[in-house]
Amino acid sequence: MTELGLRLAVSLAQIAAVMGVVMLTVMILTLAERKVLGWMQDRMGPMEVGPYGILQPIADGLKLFFKEDIIPAGANKFLFSLAPILAMVPALIGFAVIPFGPSHEVELFGIRFQPFIVSDINIGILYILAFTSIGAYGIILGGWSSNSKYSLLGGLRSAAQVISYELNVGLAIIGVLILAGSLSLVKITEAQAGGFWHWYVFAFPAPQIFAFVVYVISAVAETNRVPFDLPEAESELVAGFFTEYSGMRFAFFFIAEYANMVLVSCVAAALFLGGWNAPYPGTILARVGLDGIAWLENIAWFTVKVYVFLFLFFWLRATLPRLRYDQLMRFGWKVMLPIALGNIVVTSIAVYLFANG
Amino acid sequence: MRFQDWLKTITFYELLVGMKATMKHLLRYRPITLQYPHEKRTLPDNYRGMLSLLRYDDGTEKCVGCDLCEAACPSRVIRVVSGEVPGEPTKRYAKEYYMDMTRCLFCGLCVDACPVDALGMTREFEWAVYDKRQLCLNKEQLLAIGDRSFPVREKRLETQHPNVAFFNVAFKQLPQKPG
Repeated sequence: MTELGLRLAVSLAQIAAVMGVVMLTVMILTLAERKVLGWMQDRMGPMEVGPYGILQPIADGLKLFFKEDIIPAGANKFLFSLAPILAMVPALIGFAVIPFGPSHEVELFGIRFQPFIVSDINIGILYILAFTSIGAYGIILGGWSSNSKYSLLGGLRSAAQVISYELNVGLAIIGVLILAGSLSLVKITEAQAGGFWHWYVFAFPAPQIFAFVVYVISAVAETNRVPFDLPEAESELVAGFFTEYSGMRFAFFFIAEYANMVLVSCVAAALFLGGWNAPYPGTILARVGLDGIAWLENIAWFTVKVYVFLFLFFWLRATLPRLRYDQLMRFGWKVMLPIALGNIVVTSIAVYLFANG
Repeated sequence: MRFQDWLKTITFYELLVGMKATMKHLLRYRPITLQYPHEKRTLPDNYRGMLSLLRYDDGTEKCVGCDLCEAACPSRVIRVVSGEVPGEPTKRYAKEYYMDMTRCLFCGLCVDACPVDALGMTREFEWAVYDKRQLCLNKEQLLAIGDRSFPVREKRLETQHPNVAFFNVAFKQLPQKPG
């Protein structure tokens, strides 16, 4: 009984830590996005709250928290309340299987656990894919239950887009899964250890560079970001599926969007860019004899990779105009899908040929 | 040529050009933003801001109540109630003078129309108020704006030049020319 209680306590502590980090990242992202976009467009971004506007996320959070919570007349109250939760929970739950650092075990109060991953399940990537699909329901139901034409159109667009591009995400990562021979993110990351030439973007038998490009584009599309932000196209649909939302419910959708960005960045880092592995064999800290804190370096590398990926999101948003809807669909099905399928074939052949040699 | 186009398409060449442009702006960060309440742009010399009524250097109002500004105004901002100066039957002044600044388009036609230069355009522009009625100004408010915006006042026309005769002044109140 005490062991169960301890395990529960340790797990809850881990979950709290991961949630805290993710929420902090989301806060940083909301500010960073506005700042980076501003800098790229010769503006300053938020400058008023705190020095250089660094307290802006807190001001935004407080404002959203105290805003009036409106449920529009004719809305389906149950689904209207459910949709933001349905959007946010899957976005956050995916972090349970992301390895943030080395997978060695630590013993505490007689319990062995891995400190840098909440739960190392052997189908980690499948679990993430499954839950991000559920996130699409939040968007669709939110759009439908608002009793607004803009919301419904946004929800419909989102449904079509997420389904189309999720397919590409799934197919793009199959190459990596073939190379690693596992669905566990921990095993995939560990298989990429020993220098950046072992990362699956560049790995020897079949470099997954095309798969990586497909994954990046599809990830942008799946998180409804510019240039694939048709579900919330401001100039066409007011705000898309969350037109009618306000206050905390809107904040939930907002957090979901940014948490999804962080999640796809983490997955990209873990699958293609070697996760927490440094781009050189081993770690510098371990080499100078500081084995105990080598994990700091690994976590730093993971953070750098994730943030570089997130910066790419902002960069794309600052640069590209929105796609037309038919362009979006044609690009997804006629360009991305064949590339992803071809990548699977090439990777399979390469792995088969070089498996023994 | 066709191969080149194809190569550009598959390598997202045009997108990369655009991303290079945005990155260049990020690295050479020169914002054109003016942090408005903290720093203000320099206004041009002929800036047409808030309207005001002016005084002569002896403190008397310049306005003679001729109504020409009211006639010149395209938006009917101005309303003048003209009246005689008591004791001086030939001399008139603006008994009441109202401006509805909600309608003003700051064209400056009233200033041009004024024969005695009694109207002036100040450089004030921060006149946002919570109650629209606060923008319906009377004579005292307009004079106050003029007082704070034009500290250097004009002399009376008659005293500006030794050869100009006093006009439109009751004989018993004839002022003395300097020098």
